[in-house]
Amino acid sequence: MPMVTLEKIAHLAEECKFDSLGPARCPTVVDVDAEKLSILGEGTRHDVCASTFSPRETPLPGICHAFTKDGRCVSLFKTLYTNHCTHQCSYCTNAANCSRKARAFSYTPKELARITLSLYRSNYIEGLFLSSGAGRDETMVMEKMVETARLLRQKFAFSGYIHLKVLPGASQAHIQEAVELADRVSINLEAASASRMFEICTTKNYESDILQRQRYIRDMLSETSDTGKTVLPAGQTTQLVVGAAGESDEEIFRRVLYEYKEIGVKRAYYSAFSPQRGTSFENRKAQPLWREHRLYQMDWLYRIYHFQPGEIRHAFNENGFLANADPKMAIAREFVDEPLDPNTAAFRELLRVPGIGPRSAERIVTYRKRQPIAAKAELAAMGVRIKSASPFLKINGWRDTTLEMWQA
Amino acid sequence: MKIPENFLYYLSRHEDCNELLLARAWNLGAEELEVSLHPEVARIKKMVYAVMGEAHRMKAFMRLQPLGTRVLYGFFKPRHKIGEHICDHFARRNAWIIVVLGNGSESWISLCREGRIWRDHGRGLNESLERLKSALHCSEDGCEDVSNMEGLWQVYYDSQYCPERKNPEAFRRHMPRRDQDSAGLRLLQNKKNATLEDFLSD
Repeated sequence: MPMVTLEKIAHLAEECKFDSLGPARCPTVVDVDAEKLSILGEGTRHDVCASTFSPRETPLPGICHAFTKDGRCVSLFKTLYTNHCTHQCSYCTNAANCSRKARAFSYTPKELARITLSLYRSNYIEGLFLSSGAGRDETMVMEKMVETARLLRQKFAFSGYIHLKVLPGASQAHIQEAVELADRVSINLEAASASRMFEICTTKNYESDILQRQRYIRDMLSETSDTGKTVLPAGQTTQLVVGAAGESDEEIFRRVLYEYKEIGVKRAYYSAFSPQRGTSFENRKAQPLWREHRLYQMDWLYRIYHFQPGEIRHAFNENGFLANADPKMAIAREFVDEPLDPNTAAFRELLRVPGIGPRSAERIVTYRKRQPIAAKAELAAMGVRIKSASPFLKINGWRDTTLEMWQA
Repeated sequence: MKIPENFLYYLSRHEDCNELLLARAWNLGAEELEVSLHPEVARIKKMVYAVMGEAHRMKAFMRLQPLGTRVLYGFFKPRHKIGEHICDHFARRNAWIIVVLGNGSESWISLCREGRIWRDHGRGLNESLERLKSALHCSEDGCEDVSNMEGLWQVYYDSQYCPERKNPEAFRRHMPRRDQDSAGLRLLQNKKNATLEDFLSD
């Protein structure tokens, strides 16, 4: 690649043929109402998906551009298109029956596209996450959301990440277009079943508004997969509000299994319920954040570690809840009958030992091809969490007996 | 992060790397680096991760400001020799826009045009920007940044915080001060109180 003078570079840049891009080439003055930006931004605070990794032809890496004081990353411009909504979700501050509603705001597609592009050019974000209230007419709001994505991709040649929410009332045509423009689309399940949905929101039909639309997306993707074209590289995802309706973790697990097997979602997100002032659920108890964390661990065991549902069920107590402890430990106590020798155990067996993840299991398998593992310190250097793992391991017949595995 | 096949590139960019170390690393494979417990290999691995980590965080924390319509620039003072690497990254992302990153003593300039990168390595950031202004016939008025992206961003950033999830420890872990300084983040946030000289000095 050539090294040239700065003056030559200036000259080369001046030859840009795409004058039609005009002022959009660099961040421009975006005259936006700060209150609107803030309120529509706040509307997505509880949407926890921040992933920006997209396995396109040239993969888009996941980059977190900032972290909030709660330690969560900000990698996307996450916003609502409008906070006006006719649904009556009992946990939501934008619900039609919320008594402390913020002023209603709405973007225009052009305005939103320009803000996104400017933030992207200045490297504040990796892309756009666009959700919305239902507005007066859900189809119209969905049309505007799709138009925003279309403007970004087609007019502004935006190559960043786009995640579009599909509204419950969205038409098939709009969903199709969303799928073609975005890296990822999602429909929030919110509840674990139709009856739980009815407890938290009476205006949404679980089957026709949510599951049916998820199936549309699944079918669109399977149709295009034959053409060899990369469509919706980051796939379809979903999110549940945890604990708003009193559902158990096992109910959530059953639903998520269905989502992975039948709908083919890439992953599920869990957002612990926290009561918001003015909503019908304002006096309900907030769910502890650890519950969310344990659900994610359960999810990983299924999705990344490929544990069988039958194994994972052992992590639930008799009421169907996970304890505030690593579910993998509970499962290991049930299934790992005797200590394993890391020199001979199969990859699958290693993965079942608490403290050993896919990466360290892989390293163990590679390492032992060259030389046997002789000490725990070697395992530690390979990334194994010795404190959790040692009750389940023996090296060359030797086993750490100072800790009973049941007490670990 | 897995050790990539081209790990020698990252190793060579480390501030403490020398020819001798590179020569010794030459015969190592990525897989060996991944699993070996030999002290020297472990040290090489640590160095590779240090460079990859800084490069990753700089791609995240750098903020670019417009100078007219053809230039984006930002303060950048990395510990490792990744100036060109990061500058190219932003140039690829912003085709046809000149990207200038730098500090008081050196600067990197990249332009991506039709998939091809053109580069220069200059002295201080200020000097490079002045030269670009005159080469692009940029008047003072035309170069003034009136976009207020930082103000806009701050409003949005504040809106994303959930007080019930407050976790300052996680915040500090993810945003090390050292990297915020390398990317000039804190300078940018204190922009109102800072003079241009603060931006451009070492």
